[in-house]
Amino acid sequence: MTETNVTLTVNGKRSSLRVRPNELLLNVLRDRMFLTGAKYGCGIGECGACTVLVDGRPALACLTLAVAVDGKEVVTIEGLARGDELDPLQEAFLDHGAVQCGFCTPGMIMTARSLLDENPSPSEEEIREYIRGNICRCTGYTSIVSAILSCAKEKEEA
Amino acid sequence: METRQLEVAGTRTRRKDGVAKVTGRETFSSDVYLPGMMHAVVLRSPYPHAEVVDIDVSEAERMGAVCLTPFDVPDIVYNERTVSIPEKTYRDRTVLPKRVRHVGEAVAAVAHDTEELAMQAVSKIKVQYKELPYVLDAEEAMAERHGARLYDTVFLGEESIQVKNNIACERSIAVGDVEDGFRRADVTVESEFEAQRMYHAQMETKAAVCAPEPDGGITVWTTTQTIHNVRQLLGQIFNLPLHKVNVKRIALGGAFGSSIQMNSITPICVALALRAKRPVKLVTSREEDMYDHVKYPVKFWLKFGAQKDGRLVAAHMKALVDIGAHNIQAYPLLGCIAGWFASLYKFPNLLFEGKAVYTNKVPACAMQGYGNPQTNFAVESLMDMLAEELGIDPIQLRLMNYVGVGDEFWGQGPTVRSIIKSCGVEEMLSRGAAMIGWDRRVHPWQKSGDVVRGIGVARGFHTSGTGGPRPGEVIDYSSATIKVNEDGSVDLITPVMDQGGGTWEAAAKVVAEVLKVPLDMVGISPSDTRTTGYDVCTHATRGVYCGVGAVLHVAEQVRQKILEMAARILEQNPRDLSMERNEEIGQAVIYPTGLPDKFITLGEVAKTAQIKSWGTIAATDSYRQKNCPPCFVTHFVEVEVEKKTGRVRIVRAALLGDCGTPINPDMVKGQLVGGLCRGLAFALLEETAYDKSTGRLVCGGYLTDYKLPTACEMPAIDDIMVGFANTYEPTGPLGAKGIGEAALNSAASAIVNAIYNATGIRFKKLPVTPERMLEALREGVAR
Repeated sequence: MTETNVTLTVNGKRSSLRVRPNELLLNVLRDRMFLTGAKYGCGIGECGACTVLVDGRPALACLTLAVAVDGKEVVTIEGLARGDELDPLQEAFLDHGAVQCGFCTPGMIMTARSLLDENPSPSEEEIREYIRGNICRCTGYTSIVSAILSCAKEKEEA
Repeated sequence: METRQLEVAGTRTRRKDGVAKVTGRETFSSDVYLPGMMHAVVLRSPYPHAEVVDIDVSEAERMGAVCLTPFDVPDIVYNERTVSIPEKTYRDRTVLPKRVRHVGEAVAAVAHDTEELAMQAVSKIKVQYKELPYVLDAEEAMAERHGARLYDTVFLGEESIQVKNNIACERSIAVGDVEDGFRRADVTVESEFEAQRMYHAQMETKAAVCAPEPDGGITVWTTTQTIHNVRQLLGQIFNLPLHKVNVKRIALGGAFGSSIQMNSITPICVALALRAKRPVKLVTSREEDMYDHVKYPVKFWLKFGAQKDGRLVAAHMKALVDIGAHNIQAYPLLGCIAGWFASLYKFPNLLFEGKAVYTNKVPACAMQGYGNPQTNFAVESLMDMLAEELGIDPIQLRLMNYVGVGDEFWGQGPTVRSIIKSCGVEEMLSRGAAMIGWDRRVHPWQKSGDVVRGIGVARGFHTSGTGGPRPGEVIDYSSATIKVNEDGSVDLITPVMDQGGGTWEAAAKVVAEVLKVPLDMVGISPSDTRTTGYDVCTHATRGVYCGVGAVLHVAEQVRQKILEMAARILEQNPRDLSMERNEEIGQAVIYPTGLPDKFITLGEVAKTAQIKSWGTIAATDSYRQKNCPPCFVTHFVEVEVEKKTGRVRIVRAALLGDCGTPINPDMVKGQLVGGLCRGLAFALLEETAYDKSTGRLVCGGYLTDYKLPTACEMPAIDDIMVGFANTYEPTGPLGAKGIGEAALNSAASAIVNAIYNATGIRFKKLPVTPERMLEALREGVAR
């Protein structure tokens, strides 16, 4: 198969690489860049564990072709913190017990980040609706919704 | 009762693995990448039952793939779960079978440089199957004349035994005289109940990475709840001495029982790596994972006899378990179902008759509760039916009959029993009733309209571990190593797996509590089977009670050693010294009792011991719990039923847990809320149904079609109320029992009881899908 050159920015770092036309963003991130935060949970867009941001919008990396992100900016869970300073959502997930096994956590946080970027003060209902594509089998979602809600409130106050 | 002033245990803290998990830096099995690593893909049977006549891998090999067929694997017949003692362990499987017994069973596997190449190669393998008659229904499978016979013989321990009519095993357990008991009953109630096949849906699909080592050994990273049992099985299958089999403890993306055993793909990955002489990674797809394991589905027939005053006098249960294509743990499961049945209420006379039957379906294995949620659904439904028959309030009937302090509890079937020493049942029933507003509950016939609400209660429990005064049929002990570093920090080395519930956090807190060090000075060391003593498995809600029990046992030895070393420095006797946590210094300090100013720090003690060549302050030991205390739970649920759509929504829930001392209170809460969600799934949503004409899953391996609960199905944050019973378990580490599995066990039962209270319809078959609800509303009764 013919390989194509793509240039993408991942977590602020520009890189060029040759990809096959059927190569998935998830595999590029995990197998070639060793950014293993985005997880394989189903491979067909059902669970949300692979969620990353592409040009600020949530994308399922398991359904996104690498060629489709040419020239775009990708942020993965590894790129969310600023150095040692965690994103407020990451802090909130720690403080609200929103992490159990942790496998859904990266995708869940990226989806939540996108929600708060779109709508800084979502209601509980809006949060539930927005994260319904991200499956968590451990927590029952309540602690996750609380964590996101706490960030929303903080933004409102600020 | 021993009471300690707790300073660390019982407080809310950020979990130690939290930062790694929220930054994507936690390593799960599928995140392991090794130089020169190949990728493996498995070829799976499209038939529910067939003989593998021939496999042609020549084309795949010409593509450069390393191939593995049933004709290449060791001829060892094993059981992937080795928690029971060998003579009670049934064995019926090999690494790859020459006869496939369910759709999705592995037939062959390949490894290649990339996953894509491996997939291309696997598609070139030609398998010649001879199809055999298959059976998908447990009752049909037992019929004399049915043509489908899954096994002629299997092993029980070392003995080869015949399998008759696909019956994998049977157990009959009696207490007292059940016939006499029913003769004394004023009232009897009986019913059939059916709990479905449910899929674990742990977020991380099963995965393994195996690296062959230069000494002929192997290093393995895999999804498992038990590194030591995986090690022993791999050593046995591949004839490797155990010191050359190293299984790494690694983060596990959920399990819920799906990795209680060595997963079927683990030895496939090992065999490929040994053949290729290169590291191999095997990550299963979601579809493959769904075809790997499910929860045990059970059909019950249950009868209670009671006196007019509500006192139970007799109970009789028959259980039929459709175990699918392999007998992973059906024998202990039947014992446990008997135990869960026998331990919920005081039945002076009881009889349990259980049968486990092979079918050509996905093998069933433990799933959160190990038969307990299924049993609880039958028992707690029939308790409500009895309460109505007797005209007694359901809470009253439960209070009159529950098994509590001083009574015997069957923690793991009939051979693992201990006397209950702590119990929060009464407290939870009364507090929960107040939380949900039990007194506003009215009869179903007093309700009208298209949307009706109802309140239900169910109580449950799970064991905390499988210890007991006598070992019984189940292996249970754990090990730990603790060492004090020269700056006063502490390394904890444990073989215990943490599925995410917080077992490691509890272990660190107990070390901090006993050694008086700040929690951030306790490190949970990476570990593996080479560097740790044995731990059986993180199952049976034993992580905190047994695993951390061993940690406490070792921590107390280390504490004694610290005092002895400090005594040499301070020229005192160890017993005349005191230890306390000094948050300002960030260390434990030791001083002559009564003279706190004359302290030395733990770091000074350890450093002095090192400089003077006295040695390292450390201890390693194993420990077995001699009890299996029940962690009780009580679920109160309010549901809303939409009569036009058949949809059931949980409006409010009060979740009460009795885990003794809650060492991680926020994580205990997390277990209870997570349990409600999986209980909702069990009661209302999930089932792996089969297409009878093909033996395949109707959901096709898709999560969406399987219908998992999302964030939208759970009640609002403020509508979930959580409470802990105020109890202390005298045999537990710092008074703690378990909680994990208990958190689920009575959730679905409470939902079904609430549905009855809303609609007057008693559902005896799960899940209560909108379709089943609409049908029942139409006909006035649930089928």
